Amino acid sequence: MKTRILTLLLSVLIATSISAAELTVHAAASLSDAMNEIGRAYEKESGDKLRFNFGASSMLARQIEEGAPADLFFSADEAKMDALEKKDLLLPGTRRSLLSNFLVIVVPADARATPKSAADLARPEFKKLALAEPQTVPAGIYAREYLQKLTLWDAVKDKVVPTENVRAALAAVESGNVEAGIVYKTDSMISKKVKIAVEIPPAEGPKISYPIAVLRSSKQPDRAKRFAEYLAGPVARPVFEKFGFSFAK
Amino acid sequence: MTAEAWQIVFFTIEVAALSTILILPLGVAVAWLIARRDWHGKAIVETVVMLPLFVPPVATGLVLLMVFGRHGLLGSVLQRGLGVEIVFTWRAVVLACAVMSFPLLVRTAQTAFQGVSARFEDIARTLGASEWRVFATISLPLATRGIVAGAVLAFARAMGEFGATVVVAGMIPRKTMTISLSIYQNIQLGHDAVALPLLFVSIGIVFITVLCGQIISMRKRPR
Amino acid sequence: MSLQLHNVRLPLAEFALEMDAMFDRPIAGIFGPSGAGKTSLLDLIAGLRRPIAGTVRLDEKVIFDAAVRLNLPPRLRRIGYVPQDLALFPHLRVRANLMYGYRSPLMENELFTLGHVGEVMEIAHLLERNVTTLSGGEQQRVAFARGILSVPCLLLLDEPMSSLDSRLKKRLIPFLLRIRDEFRIPLIYVTHDAGELVALCDEVLVLERGRLIERGSPADVLA
Repeated sequence: MKTRILTLLLSVLIATSISAAELTVHAAASLSDAMNEIGRAYEKESGDKLRFNFGASSMLARQIEEGAPADLFFSADEAKMDALEKKDLLLPGTRRSLLSNFLVIVVPADARATPKSAADLARPEFKKLALAEPQTVPAGIYAREYLQKLTLWDAVKDKVVPTENVRAALAAVESGNVEAGIVYKTDSMISKKVKIAVEIPPAEGPKISYPIAVLRSSKQPDRAKRFAEYLAGPVARPVFEKFGFSFAK
Repeated sequence: MTAEAWQIVFFTIEVAALSTILILPLGVAVAWLIARRDWHGKAIVETVVMLPLFVPPVATGLVLLMVFGRHGLLGSVLQRGLGVEIVFTWRAVVLACAVMSFPLLVRTAQTAFQGVSARFEDIARTLGASEWRVFATISLPLATRGIVAGAVLAFARAMGEFGATVVVAGMIPRKTMTISLSIYQNIQLGHDAVALPLLFVSIGIVFITVLCGQIISMRKRPR
Repeated sequence: MSLQLHNVRLPLAEFALEMDAMFDRPIAGIFGPSGAGKTSLLDLIAGLRRPIAGTVRLDEKVIFDAAVRLNLPPRLRRIGYVPQDLALFPHLRVRANLMYGYRSPLMENELFTLGHVGEVMEIAHLLERNVTTLSGGEQQRVAFARGILSVPCLLLLDEPMSSLDSRLKKRLIPFLLRIRDEFRIPLIYVTHDAGELVALCDEVLVLERGRLIERGSPADVLA
């Protein structure tokens, strides 16, 4: 009798653990709104629970390197994914480039001074420029590389207020404590407190690419792969589009 | 240690020292009022003073950002009236350090004042001293040791300040980069090796400061 | 000088101090068991504690009146106080202690000068000393001298010699008499030592549980 109860309990435990897994997804801060929406739909459909960890891709990559448990990594640039691949932390065959994005220069919604081009940022009326950390965070790196390409970096680098991630740069512009910021177009679209001053044309701007991969340390790689497939699939695509993302070629 | 690293060290020492000097008068006054007087709303003031000790530092930083930002209650006045900007400048670093170390100074100074026998103050009054004279010639000198200890604690706390600073001042190289912020940034960059010397220097400075504070406290004073 | 307490009431821990009495003798003694309220009575007279009812008059001046909320602060009462532990300021030298409450007398007076008081109390040679290095008897005399030099209308002494041995007490009694004779300052002297009562006091008031239960000459009261 006792063994029967025990087996029953055990099978219930295993069953529940099989049928309702929890996936931990480390994703770039700029993806937060889109991923939350897609995630809710996926949870209903699959029964899996999703746990998102949003932040600067540089910080997330570092956490993964240090052993933070995660199933998937959705980065805002290829460099961070390369770093993990070199350390053999990715599950082979699961890496793919999914999304692309654009850079924009934003100003507070009620700003009087508006730059007409990136070169205007060098003018004195723009005293502070919010960028995600230009050495480490993808959004900041993209912005810096663009400004360097236009040989504007030296003129503006003393104005830079580096932030932890691109959403923090957005928040700095929203608060009015900086005159302008460079963020992703997708970020500018979710905020009513900023307006786009300059859209950086895709031909001129840096190649922005968001790769995703399953991590080797994932305890449920099959479920993780399923979610990655879902993100590339027809249900998720219109949601990404709605938020302003474009797709990797 | 590069020249840049030394600049960060000296900057941190300067802001910590400045913030400690700035909070001393108000901190000592508040400590004395709490130790020696009762008044309406005293409990509320005491609680507000202690808040930065218990509230998450980033939350305190957020409050400072909201108040001293360009659109904030005080920030807008300062900007429009005096043309002075606080957030994302070295002033914000001093502000963050001052606010975070204030409760430590008040607590320690308060204990120091409470340790001064009220009898001394009473006798001074019977000898004709005004309240100000009692404070300046009796309470303050007899509480000096404790007040110095409080200032040392405040300085050490300011040297290590991070959470509030990162929110209200950011990590702007050469402008608001303190030792703690630099260590954090280097960790993020994966440059742990650069962070280590900074770490040792900051521990060393605080160690020496606190040691001096201890020596001052323990110096034989004639009882 | 006359000190008049009229229907004064001061609640204490276990009972209330209630006093209706006049003091007009050169040296009045307050006698009673410990806990009777003797120190509280002196505190009340000096203005260090505030009764909830009654009036206190010093000569013709009202220094406390509960009905009209009049309460003259200690520094304006010109009532000197030598407390039980003497309360000599430990951070000041003898000279600074003595001169702390010094008020120039209204008229040219050779009596109330540091030199003369120092001579009479035999402490002139101790002026540059640190008070904590003085002997018990020396500290006593410095405390008396400090009280005298504030040129008070009345000097209160709270068991000033309780920590001294009888030999030393005998030696100090003449100094107290000098305060009466040389400086003509009336004293109110609290003690539980019968010998001091007999040697010093013109009359004795006996206090028990906050009330005056007997009054008379030392001989009458001790019988």
